[in-house]
Formats: sequence, structure tokens, C-alpha cells
Amino acid sequence: MMTLRLPTTIAASLLALFATVGSAQAETTVKFWHSFKADGEALEKIIANFEAANPDIDIQAELIGNYNDIVTKLQAAIPARRAPDAVIMEVTRYGLFADSGVLTDLTPYFEADPLKDDLYGYAREVGVYKGKNYIVPFNSSTPVLYYNKGILARAGITEEPSLKTFDDVLSVSKTITDKLGGEGITGIAAPGQFARWGLVMSNDSELIDSKSNDILLDSPNTIEAYRWMASLVHEQKVASADGVTDEDIGRDAFLAGKVGIMINSTGNFSGARKAIGDNLVVRPMPCNKVCSVPIGGAGIGILSSSPKEVQDAAYKFVSFAASAESNAIWFAGTGYLPINRRATEQTIAAEALATQPGIDVAIKQLDFAHGRARPPVVTWMRSTEYDMWQAMALGQRGVEETMKDFAERTRQEATRAGN
Amino acid sequence: MSSAASRFPLPLFAIDHVPPLVVTPAGSMLRKLTPYLFVAPLIAFIAMFTYIPIVSSLNLSFREWNFLSPEMPFVGIENYRLLLGSRDFWNSLRVTTIFTLISVPLRLGLALAIASYLVRETLPSRFLRGALFLPSVTSTVSIAVVFSWVFSTDYGLANAVLGHLGFGKVPWLQDPQLSLWVMIFVNTWKQLGYDIVIYIAGLQAVPQELYDATAVDGGRRFHVFRRVTLPLVMPTTYFLLVISVIEAFQVFTIVEVMTHGGPAGATDMLVNMLYRVGFVLFDIGTGSALAVLLFIFLIVLSFVKSRVIGRRVHYEA
Repeated sequence: MMTLRLPTTIAASLLALFATVGSAQAETTVKFWHSFKADGEALEKIIANFEAANPDIDIQAELIGNYNDIVTKLQAAIPARRAPDAVIMEVTRYGLFADSGVLTDLTPYFEADPLKDDLYGYAREVGVYKGKNYIVPFNSSTPVLYYNKGILARAGITEEPSLKTFDDVLSVSKTITDKLGGEGITGIAAPGQFARWGLVMSNDSELIDSKSNDILLDSPNTIEAYRWMASLVHEQKVASADGVTDEDIGRDAFLAGKVGIMINSTGNFSGARKAIGDNLVVRPMPCNKVCSVPIGGAGIGILSSSPKEVQDAAYKFVSFAASAESNAIWFAGTGYLPINRRATEQTIAAEALATQPGIDVAIKQLDFAHGRARPPVVTWMRSTEYDMWQAMALGQRGVEETMKDFAERTRQEATRAGN
Repeated sequence: MSSAASRFPLPLFAIDHVPPLVVTPAGSMLRKLTPYLFVAPLIAFIAMFTYIPIVSSLNLSFREWNFLSPEMPFVGIENYRLLLGSRDFWNSLRVTTIFTLISVPLRLGLALAIASYLVRETLPSRFLRGALFLPSVTSTVSIAVVFSWVFSTDYGLANAVLGHLGFGKVPWLQDPQLSLWVMIFVNTWKQLGYDIVIYIAGLQAVPQELYDATAVDGGRRFHVFRRVTLPLVMPTTYFLLVISVIEAFQVFTIVEVMTHGGPAGATDMLVNMLYRVGFVLFDIGTGSALAVLLFIFLIVLSFVKSRVIGRRVHYEA
């Protein structure tokens, strides 16, 4: 009996082993690089749902760092042939990768996908570069204005303040700083780069024209917006200089209840709500001269170096991540904009809209949200802009002189880089 | 047995029983090759991670490449021309030179002074050596993050302490002059322990009889330090000088974490610029040109140091 049982067991084990190996070989693995640390829970849920619906596809998600880290690591990974199959790419910086043939042209996939009819117009637009689709939007955002009503109340502002113009924002910031400065509380966080771009747009201008790619850094309205932003730190002293040299400090101070107002991406909504609870109020961006906000965030691109079957599997995932169901999970869990028109019809999104006041502000801004220019020189411009902003905000250089110089250098770089 | 034979007993194996050594041509070749085979793995390692990248960088510095495109067109000296015509390069060179000129003498001076006090083998000095060496083995990123918090203008520990003492806020990382001094301070704090340990080893090698002799001659402490200690630790000083100048010109992590080269380029070191040009702006050609210039600069500097200071170094008491 014993002698018969042993070979049977061995045979059954071998059969099971080969079956497992066979199954593992049949599985397609998609290596996906992303940048979502705080929002990881919502992403994990989307991936789990996808894998449950597609058991033959395994998504290996890897947190790489922020958008800059992803770009840097991707550059090193490509020649080393260790690049992922799918990657999150910030909306203004994927042009270079598209130009270089690193990203797959997703147009054939996208055109055949019913998803395209469900996406908002703005969401379709951010994925298009030189007439072709290179990324499918995932986490879209606009800047919004957050304030801590507890801080405003302590500063004596109990009625809902008007925060529509630069003067309105400055006036409230001054009141907070005057009343609570002794406690180490400042009126407003120094605007980060995305917020600066939004404030320039609300002053009826742009950094680079999104249609013609003309450099508008030295246009009068851009200069005026920068002059106002720099004055918050240098002249009015209503914003901490710490947030100029490290933009995360401004956000962290707001979350710690040390700052009254913050202009930042709607992607910060969940974190801000967790940090300051019911004291969080979200308002649209100021409309100083016009109402106009930039669309930020990122989309998922697929690398052309991956085998065709992996690209197909990756697109299945990309499309699933942008579906109404997944987008509703993402919107409710993070505060990023819905990119799918049907997302807000889903139960989870409807609940979020009903129970999380302020989560809908970014959606209401979509009427005047615009995509930004994304020629390759944008990477250079955004990298150099930090130095320029610091020089102006810290009072080391005059705003007009700096912006004119910056514009000239950006034009030279655009010419040199041939874009 | 003769008396001589009893005094010199036969060896266990008589010499004439050993078979004669036959050296074949193949064996002779193997013997010649043996030392080279021993060092071959190390040579291969160094070649792969040092010499080949240097040659590769040199090649890339004459090309236009963005890491992504399959072509790397030859552009001659265009990258060097671009770099030498860029105000960012000259700013970085100026900032790095100032950083080196201040931080290296500060490090070596402090290290020698502290090592002189810690050279004796007492329990407190052993403890202090360990305590001072600790930052050298601590992650540079962690140190930089902690000091970013310490020197935060509105939320940092340094200004909180100054506030309690009645002083106003100091914009440590926002003032262009101050921020460079903060970088020098943090770098010195990180590297000092290593310099101290090396100096202690150097000081312990100074023969005690020389100190005894100067004591007999009535030499004062400063006189003994200047005439005996200083010349005899010159080999250590020279070694640390070479190492610390190279380190200072290659400082990167502290700056990248604490200021990203800001405010407005005030702490933008050469390696930070190299990283930005190569890995943020995708201009590998210009980044490689900068790496080559830095390499040549450090070689020239080391050569000058060996000619000017190396001759004054005596390796024997």
C-alpha cells in the first residue's frame, strides 16, 4: 500500500508543479512605475480589481518617487534595458519621451477603445502630443485654494472671506499674519510651481502659449503675477521664506496648522482633510483678471521597448484605470479630478461628493481649465524657474529684470534644442 | 660516529634525496603569469567601474545625446563651448571653490586640534572619538534632512533657540551667503570624525623621545606643536588635504537635499550642476563635458599640491 502511495504522491506533486509553472508562464507581467505614496491605498485597490478581472495579467506596481525621480530613473533604466512596461508621466514632461520614440503611440489602442467617449475633453487633450496619443490620463488635477477656517476664525475672520482677486488673498493673509504671527502662524504658504503657473493664468497670461509654444515669461501680465507672488514673501512677509527654498514646507506647514491659506493641487485634498479635518475649506483659484486654471497631474504611458503582448496587457490596465469604476475609487480616495464623465455616477464617488465638502471644487473649475504647453523646452524652463523664483521671492533680483532674462534664456534654449 | 657527526645529526630527509626540479616551458610561463592572474580580477573591476566610464565620458562629452535617442551625433567641442559660455558653470565653479577654500582648512584645523586632545588613551577620549566619528558612518541623506529641519527659518530648532535667547530669526537657508556657510558647517560636522581618527593615528606615530627631548630643552607647548608635531604629521595632513579637496569638489548629497543648489544658485556646486544638466535636463553631452572638466581640474590640483606641498612632507622622524 505504502509502495503504491509514494509514486502516486510524487506524480501528483509533479503534475501540480508543472501546472503551476504552466500557469506562471501564461501570465503576462506588467511592470508599472508610479509616484503615489500617500494615495497608494486607492491605487492598490484599482490594481486588485484589475487583477481579479484579468487573472492572466499581473501588475507589478513600484513606487519610484515623485515625477522628477521617475523621469531621472527612466533615463537610466532605458539604456540599461531595465525600463518598466508602463509608467506615470507628468503631463508637461512626456513630450521628450514621445519625441524619442520611448513611448508607444497609443492612438490605435485609444481609437478602438470605447473609453475615449467617456473621458472629459480636457482629459483626452492632456494625452495628445503632436496629434498622437502617448499617455492616458490617470491623476488629473488643477490648483485650488485651501484655507483653514479655524485659523481664520482665530484671526477674527468669521464670515466667509472673498478670495477672488490677488488683493483679497493678500488682505486675508495680512490679517492672519498680523493677528497670529506671534504664534508662528503665517497667512499663506509661498506658492509652489504648479500654483505659480495657476496664478499667472488667473492674471490672463501663460508661461508658454499652449497653442503656439511662444515664450510668454516676459509678458506684462506674467511679470505682474510674479511681482505679486514674490511680494507675499519679500515685501508683505505674509508667506514664510522656507516655502520658497523647499516647496513641500509650505504644504507641510499648512497641514500642521501653521499656515492659513494654501494654493495647491487638488491632489492634496485627502491629505489636507485628514490633517485638519472640518477646518478645511476649499475654494476655487482666484480669478484676478480672468478665471483660468492649468490642468496638471499625470497619465500612464506604455514603453515601446516592451513586447507587443505586454503592451496589449498594459493598455488593458491603463484603460481599466481610467474606467468610470476605477476613476470613482481614485477620485473618492484622493481628491484628484474625475477624468471619466461617468465616474461621479458611481456610488463611491457620489458618497464622497455628499460627505466630503470641497471635493467638488476642482470639478467646478473644469469649465475654465486648460492644458499647458508641452514642448521639450518645458523641462528646461521648469527646472530653471525654481532659481528665478527664489531670486525674486527672496529679494535678490528685481522681478522684471529676472523674468526678461529668464524669457531670453528660455528662447535661446528652445532654439538650441530645436523646439 | 665521529664527534662532528654527533654534533650535526643527519637531517630527516637528506638533501640529495629531493628529486631535481624540472621546469617545463609551460610551467615557466605559468609562473610568470601567476602574479598577473592574481591582480586580474581587481584590474578588471577597476577598468569596468573607473577607466571605461572615464573614457566613455570623454567620448560622450563630444557628442549630443539625451539618454533616449539611438543616435549620438559628434558635435566636436560644442558642449565645452556651451559650458564655458554658461554663467551657471562659472557660478558653480565659484561657489565650489569658495566652499573648498573655507571648508578644507576648517576641517583640517579643527581635526588636528581635537585629535591633539584626544590622542591620549583615556576612557573619555575613547568615548569622544566614537561620538565624533559617528556622523561619518551616518547616512548623508539623513543628516541633510535633519539639518534642513534644524535650519528652517520659521519652523527650525536653531531659530527657536535663538528666539529664546532674544534674537530674531535668521534666514539660514534663504540668505545666499549664510546658506553656503550652513553647507560648510554640515559638511564639516559630517566629515570631522574621519579626519580626527586619521590624525590620531598620525599623532600616535610621532616618537615619544622627540617630545622628551624638547621637554629637556625646555620647549613650550606651542613651540613643541609647531616644531615637532606639525612637521611629523605632515604626511597625514597631506593625505587628508588631497582627500578632502577632492571630496569638497565632489560635494553633492548635502546640497541636493538641503537647498537643491539654491537659493538662486548660491549653493550650486559643480556636481549638483552636473546632475541637473545630465539627469534633469537630459543633456548627457554637456554633463559629460562638465565631468571631464572636473576630472582634469582635480588632476591638475593634485599635481600642484604634490609639487607645492608634497616636497615639504617628510615620511620619517
